[in-house]
Amino acid sequence: MLDATQILQSLVNGMGVGLIYGLVGIGFCVIYNASGIVNFAQGVFVMLGGMFTHTLLTRLGIPIILAAAIAIPLVAAAGVVVEFLIVRPMWNRGATLFAIILATLATQIMIERITILTLGDQPRTLNEFTAGGPLRIGGLAISYQIFWILGCGALLVGLLWLFFGRTRTGRALRACSQNREAAALLGVPVGRMLMIAFALSAALGAVAGILVTPTQYTAFNVGTPFGVYGFIAAIIGGFGSAGGALAGGILLGIFQALAIVTLGAGFKNVAALSMLLVVLLVFPNGLFAGLKGLLAGRSRSADAR
Amino acid sequence: MSAGSSSVGATVPQTATTSAHLFEARDVSAHYGRVHALKPTSLHVGRGELVTVLGPNGAGKTTLMRALTRLMPREGSLFFEGRDVSALKTHELARLGIIMVQEGRGLFGQMTVRENLSVGGFTRPHEDEKLETVFTLFPRLKERVDQISSSLSGGEQQMLAIGRALMADPKVLMLDEPSLGLAPKVATEILETLGELNRRGLGILLVEQKAPLALKLARRVYILTLGRVAAELPADQIGSHHDLARYYLN
Ligand SMILES: Nc1ncnc2c1ncn2[C@@H]1O[C@H](COP(=O)(O)OP(=O)(O)OP(=O)(O)O)[C@@H](O)[C@H]1O
Ligand SMILES: [Mg+2]
Repeated sequence: MLDATQILQSLVNGMGVGLIYGLVGIGFCVIYNASGIVNFAQGVFVMLGGMFTHTLLTRLGIPIILAAAIAIPLVAAAGVVVEFLIVRPMWNRGATLFAIILATLATQIMIERITILTLGDQPRTLNEFTAGGPLRIGGLAISYQIFWILGCGALLVGLLWLFFGRTRTGRALRACSQNREAAALLGVPVGRMLMIAFALSAALGAVAGILVTPTQYTAFNVGTPFGVYGFIAAIIGGFGSAGGALAGGILLGIFQALAIVTLGAGFKNVAALSMLLVVLLVFPNGLFAGLKGLLAGRSRSADAR
Repeated sequence: MSAGSSSVGATVPQTATTSAHLFEARDVSAHYGRVHALKPTSLHVGRGELVTVLGPNGAGKTTLMRALTRLMPREGSLFFEGRDVSALKTHELARLGIIMVQEGRGLFGQMTVRENLSVGGFTRPHEDEKLETVFTLFPRLKERVDQISSSLSGGEQQMLAIGRALMADPKVLMLDEPSLGLAPKVATEILETLGELNRRGLGILLVEQKAPLALKLARRVYILTLGRVAAELPADQIGSHHDLARYYLN
């Protein structure tokens, strides 16, 4: 039966992996807000982050932090390439959003195939960033990697918050998401902003991939599950809201972890998809907008009484 | 209705590649699918001039403004400070100083007043100095710097839209019905501010439906009907055209 330790353990593990989903979800939102495009190639950035880091690590024998520091800009560059070679030409020719979204799906498959051909199809993993562990507290066993995930995740969220709130480029990106025409009329190069959005969102995916790989493995095909879970996180959060995606990811991670200990690992997907369906059925605009609406509705009816 | 309706295009050879005016459109036209919403239209704004475009609902005023700023595809040529800028994109035109305040204001609704103004200064240095200028012009914005822009009153929103455009250092400021939906007193206040900006030397292209005040400020008026310029005349002559006066002055 489920005891308090198991529940706590699931909360901790779920929070770690959930933060990863949240980062992927934020990646979806950044591109969606700048353009209305849902980038289904988001998951491959997660995969590429882990794969590039592993390759640099094994081929060059450099420390993992250095390998990660090189891999992240490389993946960001891959994001720019996707924007430049696939999205932009379609955008400029007036392709529908639907067509562009399909093209990102094709891109995902293509990049997976290229990865198999160049890096092979074998799964691989990274060592935890800090050796030793897990940390034992009572019956709890917390892998050191979870601290890296939570720490780096929190740092990244803080940096994103500063970027979007305080910098010229970050504000311009937000402006584009609220009114692209008005932004262009003020001199904001909307096309270049989309490129920045792809770079940023690819970099976020890469960080997520690098942080999570030591807790599991990476291979050419891990992009799909991470993409799907990140997408679900973003939807739970009311697609487009970065904070919502983060919270949605953490909720999803915890819910999944609880489902795994109670029902078994086979229920990981079932849990994620049923959470998605329930949220969509009850709160079509996302959990948080839905709850806000409920609260507002309740206070309105209270006023009426 | 023929008074002055001859456009510059008639006196300048079609091959001319410069313009003596601050801002000039030659035979600009635009379509929505197969609907020819804007027939070839020519107009210009001189240095320090305030020009008004008047026209009833659906005349094509917004289409004209969107075509000029290239928010939609257009044919024809555009000149700015003597240079052919027909091929430039919206944001490149803005960098040169061709700035438009859209119909409906186009604010970034979930951003604060300060953030809206800051995006206005995206391409320009000296943000703080310009903020002061905008706040002197519209003190009400200063009191509300940290308010989310969608929660401003209609008049304040229009002030923010204009303030934000000023942050972008316009050389020619285009406004699409800035008085739309405002109480007459507020509309007057805003149009008077535009007059003041114009006296300081700013070129302005002002689109309105009916606006006696806009006519008092303007030197010249274009009348737009059914997607074409039906007349161009000095603003003070509109009263002597019985049909125009009846429509636009009351
Ligand atoms: N997106 C569109 N698709 C098709 N037709 C359009 C579109 N936008 C405008 N039109 C048509 O083009 C014509 C000109 O419209 P426009 O909005 O430019 O008029 P306007 O003078 O700005 O009117 P208003 O005073 O109501 O703002 C109208 O007949 C309108 O129905
Ligand atoms: Mg209009």
